Amino acid sequence: MKTVTPPQCFLAGQNLRRWYNPVRLKLSSASDEVSAMSPSPQQISQLLVAWSNGDQAALDQLMPLVYGELRKMARRYMRGQPAGHTLQTTALIHEAYLKLVGQQEKRWRNRAHFFGVAAQAMRHILVDYARSRQAAKRGGEALEVSLDETALVTQDRAAELVALDDALNDLAEVAPRQSRVVELRYFGGLSAEETAEVLKVSPETILRDWRMAKAWLLRQLQRGTA
Amino acid sequence: MAAATVAAGHSLMKGEKYHQLEELYHQALEREPDERRAFLEQACADDLALRREVESLLGYDERAAYFIETPPDDVAAAMLAGEQSQSMPGRTIGHYQILSLLGAGGMGEVYLAEDTRLKRKVALKVLPVYFTADRDRLRRFEQEARAASTLNHPNIITIHEIGEIEVAHYLVTEFIDGETLRHRLMQGRLEISPALDVSLQVASALAAAHEAGIVHRDIKPENIMLRGDGLVKVLDFGLAKLTEAPTPSVSEEASTAVMLSTEAGVVMGTAGYMSPEQARGQKVDARSDIFSLGVVLYEMITGRAPFEGATSSDVIAAILKTEPPPLGHYLPEAPAGLERIVQKALRKDREERYQTIKDLLVDLKVEVRTKEPALTSGEVTEQRQTSSVEHLVSKIRLHKRGAAAILVALFVAIAGVAYVLFFAEDKKSIGSIAVLPFVNANADPGAEYLADGIPESIINNLSKLPNLKVMSRNSVFRFKGQEIDAQEVGQKLGVRAVLTGRVAQRGDALAISIELVDARDNRQLWGQHYNRRLADVFAVQETMAEEITEKLRLTLTGAEQQRLAKHPTENLKAFQYYMQGRAYTQRRTREDLLAAIRYCEKAIGEDPNYALAYAGLADAYSNLGVRGYIAPIEGLRKAEEIARQALALDDKLAEPHVALGQVYVTYSPSNFSLGDRELRNAIELSPSLSLAHLYLGVSLVRQGRLDESLEELLKARELDPLSSVIARQVAVTYHLRRDSVRALELLREANELGPALSATWEIGAYIQNRLFNEALAELEKAKRERRDDPILIYSTGMVYAAQRKRPEALQVIKELEEMSHANLDQAHWIAKIYATLNEKEMAFSWLERGLATGAIGVFYKDEPVWDPIRDDPHFADLLRRMGLPQ
Repeated sequence: MKTVTPPQCFLAGQNLRRWYNPVRLKLSSASDEVSAMSPSPQQISQLLVAWSNGDQAALDQLMPLVYGELRKMARRYMRGQPAGHTLQTTALIHEAYLKLVGQQEKRWRNRAHFFGVAAQAMRHILVDYARSRQAAKRGGEALEVSLDETALVTQDRAAELVALDDALNDLAEVAPRQSRVVELRYFGGLSAEETAEVLKVSPETILRDWRMAKAWLLRQLQRGTA
Repeated sequence: MAAATVAAGHSLMKGEKYHQLEELYHQALEREPDERRAFLEQACADDLALRREVESLLGYDERAAYFIETPPDDVAAAMLAGEQSQSMPGRTIGHYQILSLLGAGGMGEVYLAEDTRLKRKVALKVLPVYFTADRDRLRRFEQEARAASTLNHPNIITIHEIGEIEVAHYLVTEFIDGETLRHRLMQGRLEISPALDVSLQVASALAAAHEAGIVHRDIKPENIMLRGDGLVKVLDFGLAKLTEAPTPSVSEEASTAVMLSTEAGVVMGTAGYMSPEQARGQKVDARSDIFSLGVVLYEMITGRAPFEGATSSDVIAAILKTEPPPLGHYLPEAPAGLERIVQKALRKDREERYQTIKDLLVDLKVEVRTKEPALTSGEVTEQRQTSSVEHLVSKIRLHKRGAAAILVALFVAIAGVAYVLFFAEDKKSIGSIAVLPFVNANADPGAEYLADGIPESIINNLSKLPNLKVMSRNSVFRFKGQEIDAQEVGQKLGVRAVLTGRVAQRGDALAISIELVDARDNRQLWGQHYNRRLADVFAVQETMAEEITEKLRLTLTGAEQQRLAKHPTENLKAFQYYMQGRAYTQRRTREDLLAAIRYCEKAIGEDPNYALAYAGLADAYSNLGVRGYIAPIEGLRKAEEIARQALALDDKLAEPHVALGQVYVTYSPSNFSLGDRELRNAIELSPSLSLAHLYLGVSLVRQGRLDESLEELLKARELDPLSSVIARQVAVTYHLRRDSVRALELLREANELGPALSATWEIGAYIQNRLFNEALAELEKAKRERRDDPILIYSTGMVYAAQRKRPEALQVIKELEEMSHANLDQAHWIAKIYATLNEKEMAFSWLERGLATGAIGVFYKDEPVWDPIRDDPHFADLLRRMGLPQ
């Protein structure tokens, strides 16, 4: 008899729902900067296709675009938010996708690959921030009077995220695909199926990778703090 | 972290070694925990390092269940909130030297700065660029801010300057050394006295502003500063002007409301404090501030926002539609006078609200005064003489020690009655409800058991109430993951009220919001938001069930209340396992049932007193037996034993009675009263349990009590209208009543609801109607999925027999005879085919064989298929021996 573990049997379809989160990030159109340099949705689609066909150079072109767009949108979004308001990374990625690739893109694969790039970009953005927070802490920034609930939470969370990033790099040395699976799912919010599409393996393999990677990473983190 | 890498370095297995590790890890996981050690010992042979590594990782498998399952949204939010402010300290803006960040809010960041000219500390607020981009709005903001500042009111913050740097505008105000009310509230609710004091000072500030024609528009805890010496300062007068739509008019109402709810920054943080007219985007006046202050007052006293929701549109919906519970709901000692003040401030229709802030101010002052003696005497007192009841009470009051308690009780009662009178438009109770599966809001698969489990527990809980029809799990779970339209759900299921909910779990924190909707018109009857710790999930389920019955205006007896208050388990892990098991029991394949057994056993392992998990286990075993996946008798015996264990733990639990009933109905046909008793017992305990009605209906129909059977089955169908099994069973009864038209009609409905053709008699219904082609088509359809299912082979034989294709029918009998594993119905089926072929002797001979071996299964004496042999004395004799009436 096949063993079905509890998380796996619920995974399918779950993450997809996240994309359609009702919290849409509406941005003030007045401050929308339209850069003459930004490539058209068609060009981005082509880059995505090229990347999914193994063209690494395409990724090099895509990454700064997605990275920049995510940062720009997030910043603009948060500027209008009260402190403590949570931001959904997956919703943000979805929003960036609509912006860069557009609703016309019906090819599911391209979408998966876009999210693949975005997951990586999101990881950079968040980890860079977390590292800067840590640096600031070490620098001994004295006054921490804040009304911002999340800012208080974050010192610890920043440390956690930095540790996770380190552990992911360690994992990449021994099991590169597992490390990628975590990046895609955790930072990009991809479902098992989407992750499978990006990494070109079966969803079952993704779930196996995910499960083992989680155990491996958790152990690594706990050893680190012990 | 570098240290961690080094520390872990020794155990980094790479390359081929890692693959080996990976393989063993997954293979070990496929085994039961207690078998893993032996497996690894054998698999790793002499590679001790490898074995240690696998075992070490396995040790983390369970712990990692929730690890990194939710995206790091909190970090993202904090990062973005923080990053704008990082560059500021040290800079000089005009003659202000920025010292540090004080805080950040929806309307920009606030810094502590030094006025280098006047050598004093000030607060400097940088306003978000896109709010100040509109010159017109900016000008109106400046006007109002300055006007308020010139009022020179002690409770209004003094504005020193409004200036501009680069593209940003900034606002310089006096520096208040204190905390915001929001910050204060994060540490918990306020006592009544300080809450009154703060409201009084805010109201006083507003009174001065309103007099000068200035409406604040954004009264909320973030805008109220509490100074160390007790002075309260209201911030941000006029600031709301920046966020307002230019000129709202009635025609624009709808679009403005939409804009308010979606445009960044306008609403997200403040939605909860908006007045209904503000939420609608209508023009606001001073009375809007009164509402907002009412919200703040409510929150100070109860520690909860009166209008809550998962998203800002939910909050807005609550503001427009929901009446918050009275203060007494959270704080029984809340004085009635205060209750009245809050209610009057929170009237949705501004015409019914306090008309001026001064009226509110007066009432607050009275309240403060009445509060004072109470504080010194340490008793809860109340002496406003606005109603005869209160007047009366105030006379009995005082001097007597015991009076305090009576008073509290009285006020609670008054508040309760007032609440019911006020909010219940028609006082008729609502008699039917569908509790839908909750939305798993952060889509964390680890929280899925909560999204299913909480509503299921509510269903179980409410099912115990005699005057309420509660839709069964089976029917409501069909709506899982769907966009819900309460009206549509209500129509499909035939219920008056629909309960939906969202659940979000993050670590130990649990947030649940539920909404009760009138299915006739999609009107929200009630909404509530619960923020709890995960460990409190059982208590909150109880609270929800209680509150729901209250909102449905059901009156409960003490015993019923007690029944509602019971939790089947207090163990979270056990609950989780049980719910996972339940998810499997719904699908009844062999693998699913075995998985259900595993999970129920795990649940029992966690909590050996979890009677409900025993009942689940019993249910799984009896289904394994009924379906012939294990020897039927073995499955049923096991089920009986386990159900008995469950009842030993809790004999007031309906589920094990149902499990026992099912066992007896299937297994001891000679003693119907045994099963019937269990089932009636279950119905008594839990009238909305559809399965109890179903099995009782089955039992009755076999006893030939067709009318009673139909009654029970229709009840079951009412409770579970989307069940194909129940629809089929109703069809059986119609079929036996020779109402073939209705039987077929229901059969077709059943086929739309569930898998095609699952019971033996169905084909009989077609044959009875001489619909051979339909019957064959059904069979073909079913065979596509389950080619080797003996039921389908038998059914084909029946059609042949009815078509008088004797050789083909006999061929089928031969096939059935040769089947190796014992099936409950085998002999029974062969007898039916012979009866249809009109070969009486063979039919009797097989019935006798079936009876001798116990392989007779569910036997309907009234089935038309027995017509050819019914008049034979042998048939009557058989019935007698089966314990059936003749």
